[in-house]
Amino acid sequence: MSNLRGKVYAMNTISPMKPWKTWLLWGLFLLIRLFPRLNSGLPQLSFIHFARWVIVPRRGFPRLSERQPKNYLRYDYLLFFSNFNGTWNQYIDAFSAVLSKGLNGIWRWSEKFPGSVPVTPFKNFITRGQIDTGYYYTAYPHATTNDVKAAHRVTAALDELAKLSKGMPAAEFGDAYLKFLLKVQGDLGATGEAPVGT
Amino acid sequence: MANRSGSVYGLTILSPIKDDPHADVSHSLAIRLYLQTIPQDQTGPLARVSSTHMARLVVMDDVVYFGMPSCEEHLSAKYLIFESNFDGDLDPYLGRLAREAKKEVHAVWQHCEGYPGVEDEGAFIAYMKKCQVETTFYFADVNDKTVQQTLRALQTQSAVATFIEKNQGKPPEELQKAFAKFLAALHKAPEPLPGSGQAREITDKLL
Repeated sequence: MSNLRGKVYAMNTISPMKPWKTWLLWGLFLLIRLFPRLNSGLPQLSFIHFARWVIVPRRGFPRLSERQPKNYLRYDYLLFFSNFNGTWNQYIDAFSAVLSKGLNGIWRWSEKFPGSVPVTPFKNFITRGQIDTGYYYTAYPHATTNDVKAAHRVTAALDELAKLSKGMPAAEFGDAYLKFLLKVQGDLGATGEAPVGT
Repeated sequence: MANRSGSVYGLTILSPIKDDPHADVSHSLAIRLYLQTIPQDQTGPLARVSSTHMARLVVMDDVVYFGMPSCEEHLSAKYLIFESNFDGDLDPYLGRLAREAKKEVHAVWQHCEGYPGVEDEGAFIAYMKKCQVETTFYFADVNDKTVQQTLRALQTQSAVATFIEKNQGKPPEELQKAFAKFLAALHKAPEPLPGSGQAREITDKLL
């Protein structure tokens, strides 16, 4: 089992939904795609690199050969995959505290979903539906999503200074360098090994 | 299309795992055992397929029963889940998987129903597409930078922090000269390897 790699945790969950409810969730996701403002919560949390919800209809599990027995399922299934920074408990706590309305909107269509507040039954629900990861890879294991965003800001500021300062007199360069420092000072946190979490 | 956010593609594959009651070791266990042996760092197979930001392999034994009043039900096969977040388009990515992670892909997917092998790239791509499930909603926090741009940016961030620390209080003339040298050295620095987390090591040697 390797749910963790560096500073990133790979979470996988599955939950059953009655097929008629699936249409409502599809409609909700369509609305969020059409009106991205409805999804302001996830970017605000700023510790999720990538996340996705996948609805697998009851007849949608791939069947690749006649040898493979057919599935006879009554429920559609909602899969959730997340790549986040921090510990499992921090993640679920933050989800419950900050995004409870959004999460309720998504998981309320799943069987036996208790609501995202209070947090204890919500954690029990997630735990029951969680599947451990067998192999996990990330290209930048020592960086959080905030590190990645900060690094791109520093790079953009450095490129700008390099461009502006070509042929600049030394005194002017001193001023431009100070402005650069003011711009990037909040984005210079070091990356490295993750602390041991719980 | 929900599989994409900006320039990043969110691939979800569900490959049915073979069921052989006569096998000494079940196919699902064989996959699990093999996955424990694959390196997760820069020597791993997905580091070679360098457009991969993050990816995972998961063996799903069955669906989950949450208790009454819902009904208990089971899948007829176990599934191998491959979830990947990568730059670019699907076909070239699957082609790279078949070519550049050939050994590992074959070692894992040989336990799955209908797997045609990796020798015929076209057949492998077609097979993976049959196993693909459309992502319903996809979120990528940074969706306009490639893996290489991000690795370079992390290296630059680390180098800039070191440069600032080492050049505190210098007069503008000296600072300007040092800055020009710094830019040249940064430009020549080797590309950080995906999966390694080595941005800091490179810049420490650089400055």
